[in-house]
Amino acid sequence: MGQSSIQLQAKLMREYYRDFSKYAKGKLPARKTAWVTAFTPVEILEALDIQYIYPESYAAVIAASGQEQTVLEESERQELCRDCCSYACCIEGTLALEAGPRGLPPRPDVLIATNNQCNTLPNWWNILAERYGVPLIVLDYPGEAAEREMAYEYVIAQHRDLIEKMEALSGNKLDMDRLAQLIENSRASVAAWRRVTDLLAERDIEPTLLFDGISFLITHRCKPETAALYEVMEEEFSQTPPADESKPRLFWLGYPLWYHEKRYMPELLGECRISGSNYITWWSLDYDGDTPMEQLFSAYNYTFLNLKQETKDARLSEDIRRSGAVGAVTLHNKSCKCDFVSARNIPIPQAELEIDMIDRTFLDEGRARRQMEALLESICAG
Amino acid sequence: MNILSFSGFIPEQICDTVRFIRHPGQRSIAHYCGYAADFISRVLDDDSIDGCVFPRTCDSTRVLESYLAGSGKFVHRLHVPARRDGLAVAYLAERIKGYQKAVEAHYGVTLDNVPQRGELVNERNAAVARLYGALPELSFGAYIDMLHAMLQRPLAEQTVPDTLPASAGGKPVYLVGSTMCSAGLASAIEEAGMNIVGDRLTESKRLFSAPPVSAKGDIYENIAASMLHNRTSPTQNDFDSILQEDLAEIKSKGVLGVIFVTQKYCEPYDYLYSVYKKALDKLSVPALRLTLTDSTDGRRFDAAIETFADIL
Repeated sequence: MGQSSIQLQAKLMREYYRDFSKYAKGKLPARKTAWVTAFTPVEILEALDIQYIYPESYAAVIAASGQEQTVLEESERQELCRDCCSYACCIEGTLALEAGPRGLPPRPDVLIATNNQCNTLPNWWNILAERYGVPLIVLDYPGEAAEREMAYEYVIAQHRDLIEKMEALSGNKLDMDRLAQLIENSRASVAAWRRVTDLLAERDIEPTLLFDGISFLITHRCKPETAALYEVMEEEFSQTPPADESKPRLFWLGYPLWYHEKRYMPELLGECRISGSNYITWWSLDYDGDTPMEQLFSAYNYTFLNLKQETKDARLSEDIRRSGAVGAVTLHNKSCKCDFVSARNIPIPQAELEIDMIDRTFLDEGRARRQMEALLESICAG
Repeated sequence: MNILSFSGFIPEQICDTVRFIRHPGQRSIAHYCGYAADFISRVLDDDSIDGCVFPRTCDSTRVLESYLAGSGKFVHRLHVPARRDGLAVAYLAERIKGYQKAVEAHYGVTLDNVPQRGELVNERNAAVARLYGALPELSFGAYIDMLHAMLQRPLAEQTVPDTLPASAGGKPVYLVGSTMCSAGLASAIEEAGMNIVGDRLTESKRLFSAPPVSAKGDIYENIAASMLHNRTSPTQNDFDSILQEDLAEIKSKGVLGVIFVTQKYCEPYDYLYSVYKKALDKLSVPALRLTLTDSTDGRRFDAAIETFADIL
């Protein structure tokens, strides 16, 4: 009998965090190590046998372990304003205290930041560069607003430059066949994940499983284990009972609340259920193109947050339509100003909640409850 | 044609724009830069403004377009690269051409004096640099007011005086921030017995530190190279250069303290502050941070400023 998705996830998590406790005690990583942001073309790093670490993901783990307040306070003592992205504050505090729930990430040899999700991350990476005194590489993705040909030339040149630098760092030569295979792995992961997320609208699935499940599409997307995991999830979810159609459907528009046991707030949803979310689609990258370089360009230049507003509106509307949602819980996330405007033009009633995905003290629960009650009333009245 | 421009990343060589300094906007967007919100308000509310141009350099400017797209006015976003190498220069040159074409198409004009405007910018910047060099003896309040008034006028009408009212002297301090939009803040600092002897403001040091643009060769590449090689903005992700440049000036001018003026929810400067403060601590140079809520925040920071002057 094969392993369950929970077992497979636990295995991947164990492997990813295996040596963090040793790193906290001063152990140096066996391989060259890059700290990367969540939309970095990691296929290049994987092909060159460079270890890559996601500080954002670790911040989510810290919040999930309930330790975020201690590190957020330490971050303020380190002069980092609490208005900044809480992922950054969380990691800054953890590094200053030299302690985290699973230990510490390995010391980086290089820092790679991209601006295809926001401009905050490269700023944060500057702080890390000052802390560790290692090279900082910023990959600049013009996004959909730029003419494709111009953006292509610019991005491809940067990817080539990255490859050259990473070859020098690792001492390895990039094998294009290996890169092509890794991109195929990423494609397979994305395809399998899309089949998983499609089931949320129709089946009785706890959204928590998807909010947690997508983390592997971030940290492990070009590894074959990821598609295998999602195939098991698809199989398991297909066997769950159909969703209770008497419950009105809601769309979760924004980040998971990493500090919340369920990653969302079922206690405020009444009889409604979550039938869709934009966050769980963000890493469904389109590796379009005939060559690996074209595929990487397509995937990383056209991330959701790097699209024009009208394209974002269209995609979001389509996601909402497919979810069948009649209302949306829209999160104004203190830590992600880029996502504020995602919901500006959606056609269903919304409750707009002020939240932070890491800092639990940010939410005014009484106010949120009243907003949700108003939303539920308007849905029922409609 | 009356285009409102946001920040120092808009190439003045292309056409005249009105530099945004402040506006009493009523727009409030949660966790969003008040200065950017006021820019949005002015574009939407001010009938004399028929267009706007802004860079994509931070999370606030990144989403400006979504608030302005329905304004019916000319709206252009200039993608300023997040890097400074040759790749970025070539890319930005193309973006600048795109900006020029967009203006020409929208307003039905031909902008054929880019090299001449480049020369005017060079001359003006050299004149501002001369004044800046004399700052220890000049009133910074008068200097910054002169710059703000100058940047509202067409380039051909921008004049820089040979001198300004004298400084009353005082303890030498250095100013860091995106813009000194708050009217009267510089004077308040001076009245507290401090003398602002240098800065890293968009409208001052970063403006004139742009290398002169040569009319020889590809003018657009020359403009792009100049834009990317002035004193760095934290949005360009090279904090190390900022620290090196500023700390050298701070040491050479015998600065006793640094005043950091930022906008609430301006993340690039929030991040910069965290490393800047540590670098100042190592030099035993005290820092005062003043956080403005928006472009017209006229709160008196007297108590904080006077206390800081006493510490110095």
